[in-house]
Amino acid sequence: MKETYEGVEIVETKPIEGEGFIVIEGFPDVGLVGSIAASFIADRLGMKEVGYVDVEALPPIISVRDGKILELIRIYRKDNLLAILSDVPVPASIVKPFSRELMNWIQSKKPKLIISLTGIPEPNRLNIDKPKVYVLASNAELAQKLYEATGIDRFKDGFIAGIKGMLLKEGVRRGIDTILISAQSHFNYPDPGSAAEVVKYVSKILQIELDVKPLLESAEELKLKLRDLMRRTSQMMQGVQKSRELERPPVYL
Amino acid sequence: MSYRRKPLWRILLDEFRRIEEEMSRIEDEFIRRIKEAEGMRGCITPLHNLYESGDEIILTADMPGSSKEEIDLRVGENYIRIEAPCKSPIRGERKYLLHVELPVEIDPTSVRARYKDGVLEVVARKRLRGFRIRVE
Repeated sequence: MKETYEGVEIVETKPIEGEGFIVIEGFPDVGLVGSIAASFIADRLGMKEVGYVDVEALPPIISVRDGKILELIRIYRKDNLLAILSDVPVPASIVKPFSRELMNWIQSKKPKLIISLTGIPEPNRLNIDKPKVYVLASNAELAQKLYEATGIDRFKDGFIAGIKGMLLKEGVRRGIDTILISAQSHFNYPDPGSAAEVVKYVSKILQIELDVKPLLESAEELKLKLRDLMRRTSQMMQGVQKSRELERPPVYL
Repeated sequence: MSYRRKPLWRILLDEFRRIEEEMSRIEDEFIRRIKEAEGMRGCITPLHNLYESGDEIILTADMPGSSKEEIDLRVGENYIRIEAPCKSPIRGERKYLLHVELPVEIDPTSVRARYKDGVLEVVARKRLRGFRIRVE
């Protein structure tokens, strides 16, 4: 039995009632693909802030935008869609207990589906004009259903490090439908092009219209604005051994 | 008063966190220096990576908002220097400036570079001196 981690508090500033939620998470990691994609989706759908995640291990800082004080990790909602966005990477040492606590809360919301968004490091990214997108699902039926609905390639072999991997693992253990959508990406440069490909697949899965043109048009500006977060995220990625995602798992036979 | 010994996993976890805090402090100091230099000079230090691959050195730098015609790339046997204007939306950021000391000597005449999707890639051949040894 794992010890309860008391360093995470999830606060609903507007009660999140109902069930059958689809939860999108975009914590920063490879190429900030998840962060860029999830923020773009929340912005385009006009999702409203309904809560935040307070993490004891985060540094004592606040985020201020246009004079407004923001929580570092925020929860947004529109209808049955929830998005979790973060302005900071979660420290490597608490990724496991943090993911478990986050999953406890998500589970309490009786989710229909959890969608993690991320980049998959591609050393040859500079030579790729259209990054390939892969999906990894917590169970085979779900993977098959997604393949039939969208034709998306399956993530077959490799490692997934950090929160995304932990959420998927918890999804398998708890029997909660969880998927990871990943696109080939620069490892430690913000990659809006890769995020755009991820958004396209999210829009197919959710069957909503999401035009990625504005995202691609603001790509240069985004890359410049996000370089500080990328620097901080690179440090976290070392801590969770993100470089493992460049390796193949051992096969003995 | 009685003391309970901490379990081993807790000791290891605490040690891991202590190391992480120390690394975070070093990283924070590194980032502070970059940001202060950027602020003082109005220059952006681009995110960059340096790789060694066989007999080549590869430097990539993320420099969105520039153009290949405007990039001033200079190389010596042990350094690569990049300067380029930048159309940053952030006030005061006017140009990119990066000077990288190389871990091995390169042949400056071998250098080739390309700028694609905001990323500059510079490839140089290492200057290798030595003898070929027959393997028995």
